[in-house]
Amino acid sequence: MSTLLDILTTAAILYSVCAGLLLVFGVMKIINFAHGGFLTVGGYSALLVTHLGLHPWWAPAFAFVIGAVCGMAIERLVVRPLYSRPLDAILATWGLGIIIGQVITLAFGREVQFVKSPVTGALDLPGGASYSEYRLLLVAVAVALGLTLAAVLEGTRLGLVTRAVIMNENLARALGINSGLVRFATFSLGAGLASLAGSLITPLSSVDPNMGVPWLVNAFMLVMVSGVSLVSLAIACVVLGGAQVLVSQWGNPILGGLTIVVLAAFVLRLRPQGFSRG
Amino acid sequence: MQSKKTGPLVRAAQWATLATFATALTLPAAHAEDVIRIGIPVGLSGANSVVAPSVVQSAELAAEEINAKGGILGKKVVLEVADDGSGAAGAQKAFDSLIFQKKVNVLISMETSAARNAGLPIVTRGKTPFIYTSFYEGRSCNKYLYVNAWVPDQQVAPIVDYFAKNYKAKTYFLVGSDYAFGRGMLEFTRGYITKIGGKVVGEEYLPMDGSDWTSVISKLKAANPDALITSTAGGAPNVTLTKQLRAAGVKIPYGNLAVDEGTAKSMGADAEGIYISGSYFTNIASPKNQAFMAAMQKKFGANLKTPNDLSVPQYEGVYAYKMAVEKAGSTDADKVIAALAEVAFEGPRGVIQMNKQRHAPLTMYLGKVTKEGGVEVLETFKDVDPGEQCPKLK
Repeated sequence: MSTLLDILTTAAILYSVCAGLLLVFGVMKIINFAHGGFLTVGGYSALLVTHLGLHPWWAPAFAFVIGAVCGMAIERLVVRPLYSRPLDAILATWGLGIIIGQVITLAFGREVQFVKSPVTGALDLPGGASYSEYRLLLVAVAVALGLTLAAVLEGTRLGLVTRAVIMNENLARALGINSGLVRFATFSLGAGLASLAGSLITPLSSVDPNMGVPWLVNAFMLVMVSGVSLVSLAIACVVLGGAQVLVSQWGNPILGGLTIVVLAAFVLRLRPQGFSRG
Repeated sequence: MQSKKTGPLVRAAQWATLATFATALTLPAAHAEDVIRIGIPVGLSGANSVVAPSVVQSAELAAEEINAKGGILGKKVVLEVADDGSGAAGAQKAFDSLIFQKKVNVLISMETSAARNAGLPIVTRGKTPFIYTSFYEGRSCNKYLYVNAWVPDQQVAPIVDYFAKNYKAKTYFLVGSDYAFGRGMLEFTRGYITKIGGKVVGEEYLPMDGSDWTSVISKLKAANPDALITSTAGGAPNVTLTKQLRAAGVKIPYGNLAVDEGTAKSMGADAEGIYISGSYFTNIASPKNQAFMAAMQKKFGANLKTPNDLSVPQYEGVYAYKMAVEKAGSTDADKVIAALAEVAFEGPRGVIQMNKQRHAPLTMYLGKVTKEGGVEVLETFKDVDPGEQCPKLK
């Protein structure tokens, strides 16, 4: 029972962390290596909420807005001039990640800090076991996040043009879609989502200027095996996240840390399209 | 690229830069004889970053007090702080630059065991005395090394005995960070538990920078032990583990071999009820400790980081070095090393003399973290011997 919950909650956390990266990858065809930096921004947004004495429920909203604003500025100033040079753009996001980490170090110091959790304690399960309430809450958050994104992509005008750009950017432009605006919106949304995820993981761990880095590699591999579909991302998170939990439990946590990366490499070798249908 | 003739302005700027560098290089050398440099390699970033600022504050107070009374042998004490990143790679850089570039007379600091082990060969090469002020897993022996903090032989017994006596604990679960301190402490703990007739039902480790304890906690719950004893890296891993344990509803007696009072405070309500055993708590009622607390309060005011079992030995270490230099009559490494075992300094933790194979007998306290983040002392153990640490060193 608790293993099953471990798998579900781990997958939920991974899904929240990866969603923003996947969107940016889908539209812009670049892996945004500043994603780890945006996660960190989210963690510090949550820290600000704690410092301001606001209720921890504010943290995710606050983090999303700050992340999205940072994303807008960065898209306009750094990423847009590099649209025609995707490799340089990837390199630029890598550098950006480092810069974000350093700016945060300057502003908040290097030390590890802590954020209040909105809910504490454990929920009693049938059968005498109990499980962390916050982790269960994250499952609901991840599902809500997935449904919201799906609703935006499938049900709105912005979603429609975004899907058009994902499928064939040149054709979409020929049909009069302003793909620059779509890119701008997606990058900002992606940054906002990363920052949101950063604020969600902080009650479980600590806040420090490099907190986003360990997540980046796993998120990158998960997006690689998912293609550009939110559904296949969910599958990838459950399968590979589940494998990580099982390896940690039956083997040891040190091997568990490698599981996602190694399995993802195997999956890509055997089935280049990964978990997506295409 | 087109080649251009260098303009006079550019050339002047180049000379100015060169001159600045030259001054920067020669200045410390010119003054090297007038001051005593104390090197402090410490984890300002990484796992130790929660506790490192308090260590630096302790050293600053000691240096200020000593300088106000005329320094050491009439020389002013200067502190050189270097960030070791809490790990081996950072420590190599920090030790190297302190010993060979800053030319410090002594190293006094608390560090992770990984950092200490990486630094020791550099200490040997630089022939520089090194007073290690952090509790650790024990049996680190080097001609230039002295330790004024506790080792497992002094610290583990109070917690395990207390659990066995007051909670009738028979089965124990051990959790640690995967590095020298974590494994060393728990190896000793496992031995001690077995010796008194208890049983270890599980032992789990996470990498030092790991923050997801999910699977460890699941295994802990499945093993259903009477008590939990942890030994993580100080700071971040300690906090993430405690938070996740509390979130998972783990309520068995929880002994923490690596938490200090300051870290406990920063954890807030999650730390309540943790058992800790150490050689220093802020509410020790000796006049020396009260004077120390008052002086810290006066010097740092609102910026004061709670003094703790990692920062107070730092303060005492600086004084031990002062006494050793005065006894030896010089800063000569060999003479100071010989003198360090002979001097006894009375500080906030009592009279400390590093006369037992480079280690010191210490008065140990068993405490429990209160709701407010303070520590309530439950039992006191007078002058606990460190046991056999470095029998081969003179």
